[in-house]
Amino acid sequence: MLKGVTRLVSRVHKLDPGHFLRLGTQAPQSLAAHLDNQVSFESPRAISCTSENDPAKHEEKHEGQHYNLPLQDMKTIFPHGLPPRYAMQMKTFNEACLMVRKPALELLHYLKNTNFAHPAVRYVLYGEKGTGKTLSLCHIIHFCAKQDWLILHIPDAHLWVKDCRDLLQSSYNKQRFDQPLEASVWLKNFKTTNERFLNQIKIQEKYVWNKRESIEKGSSLGEVVEQGITRVRNATDAVGIVLKELKRQSSLGIFHLLVAVDGVNALWGRTTLKREDKSPIAAEELALIHNLRKMVKNDWNGGAIVMTLSQTGSLFKPRKAYLPQELLGKEGFDALDPFIPILVGNYNPKEFESCIQYYLENSWLQHEKAHTEEGKKELLFLSNGNPGQLERLCAYL
Amino acid sequence: MAVDQDWPSVYPVAAPFKPSAVPLPVRMGYPVKMGVPMAKEGNLELLKIPNFLHLTPVAIKKHCEALKDFCTEWPAALDSDEKCEKHFPIEIDTADYVSAGPSIRNPKARVVTLRVKLSSLNLDDHAKKKLIKLVGERYCKTTDVLTIKTDRCPLKRQNYDYAMYLLTVLYHESWKTEDWEKNKTEADMEEYIWTNSSSEKNILETLLQIKAAEKNLEVTKEELLGTKEIEDYKKCVVSLKNEGDSENTLSQYKDSVKRLLNLT
Repeated sequence: MLKGVTRLVSRVHKLDPGHFLRLGTQAPQSLAAHLDNQVSFESPRAISCTSENDPAKHEEKHEGQHYNLPLQDMKTIFPHGLPPRYAMQMKTFNEACLMVRKPALELLHYLKNTNFAHPAVRYVLYGEKGTGKTLSLCHIIHFCAKQDWLILHIPDAHLWVKDCRDLLQSSYNKQRFDQPLEASVWLKNFKTTNERFLNQIKIQEKYVWNKRESIEKGSSLGEVVEQGITRVRNATDAVGIVLKELKRQSSLGIFHLLVAVDGVNALWGRTTLKREDKSPIAAEELALIHNLRKMVKNDWNGGAIVMTLSQTGSLFKPRKAYLPQELLGKEGFDALDPFIPILVGNYNPKEFESCIQYYLENSWLQHEKAHTEEGKKELLFLSNGNPGQLERLCAYL
Repeated sequence: MAVDQDWPSVYPVAAPFKPSAVPLPVRMGYPVKMGVPMAKEGNLELLKIPNFLHLTPVAIKKHCEALKDFCTEWPAALDSDEKCEKHFPIEIDTADYVSAGPSIRNPKARVVTLRVKLSSLNLDDHAKKKLIKLVGERYCKTTDVLTIKTDRCPLKRQNYDYAMYLLTVLYHESWKTEDWEKNKTEADMEEYIWTNSSSEKNILETLLQIKAAEKNLEVTKEELLGTKEIEDYKKCVVSLKNEGDSENTLSQYKDSVKRLLNLT
């Protein structure tokens, strides 16, 4: 009896997570299933996953490890804003795991020590294509959501400056243009994320839409959002009101505001939109962009502004550009100065190893050489440690 | 050919390649598959290209010896490049052409090139910037050399006088300041100047707001400007703008902003 148990225990020890995948080429999936039955309590994900699911408690010792985000939270916090490939991965694996990395840890540290009486500090995540800027932003948003901040998340500012079907002339200011579709879509998603705040916050001014409709002082923000969603014509102005009120009221200290903008270089770049007479529209003439620019200025307090630079959706910028000045241009840099630039780089060896382990554990890598040392070296060489590139390569294996 | 034959007499002037006269086993041409380039006998490629067989070191030495009778001695005091530059900062390049033909004139001989280093001219900051703007393409930043090439007059002497006149006019004009120069905008500036820039305004506003939040209203703008952190920040922004982004400049900028805003 004892001998049997010791033999079982020694087999468990021999086949622990670091080693079990080196066993030959026959049907790794069945082996994994078999072992899951045997090694039920000791999770095989000890190397690549951590059980610490609260971003507030993430520290340097968790660096390189994946943590699980509950799928329910994903629907509320991220109705928009996840990179498309990551959303597909989430659907395939039926779970959402994010890797804890240094830039995010650094930002979390700053955010935890924010002084809410001081003007909002601006943080800019920059880096080459595919290094994980958007996912780091998602990590930060998850943290702030858990801390009960109000999240103002613009998933991709580039979507607002290109391929817009209908542009209306703004009723508020004749020189500017409205984008009803984009504004209403954003308002819907904003509502999903911040349901609980919408009834608590009251607007402090009377806004008149037109001769017949107006919003009285003291009504809740939720009503403004409803107006914007139902009456699509006024959606852009509704967005403007939401931004203005949030900015004003976060200084009062009722709530903390996180402004998260992905692709902030769109705000100061060129647009591909044209008027009816085919003359190009500058970014300032779009009401949404104008209001967003006011939002990322640091003349309010009670929160923080986190932004990423993105070449991926950007217009008229070369593919290799990733440094702040190249993507923001002179105007953008002057508007955002002073900010804290945070570099997001490729995987270091530990993170790379962790990522490969995660894929192996989810049986994503089916190639027989995938778990060998040479296989890993080959993947490292081909992707150069770039997370996006690695993900694309592993999709074929 | 004998080893001690006099080569300059075989090729005294520029002449086409004569395979029988040149003793070298030269090959030229694109080889066929599993082959080698063609040999020199009857090789058109070797005839097409220019050859310098008439300018071997031995031949050049002979030319120099012959020309020495027409030259004067190099001044003994000018034994280094720096001394030459110090005493003769302006260099003039001219070319003379000799050919056998019905006329001794050659229109190419009238070109005169004047080269001078701006560091040897007495220019202050404003004058140097104005001069560089005036000459445009003719100034090379890496070597700090201004090159003026003139050929608009029919004679070399006239072109030389014109080049000297241009240099004089440039020098005097760049020292003068016109009325319209005070309309110089930020876009015209050659390098980034921090004072009165939007970066200064932003940072002052931010700091004033911070101080107001801490109920520290006695601090004035001048005091803020004098602190060490702002000096540091100013240096970082200037280097970022002038030199462009790089790991180094960005990390310095980040540290200075962190110190300014009192982030850990």
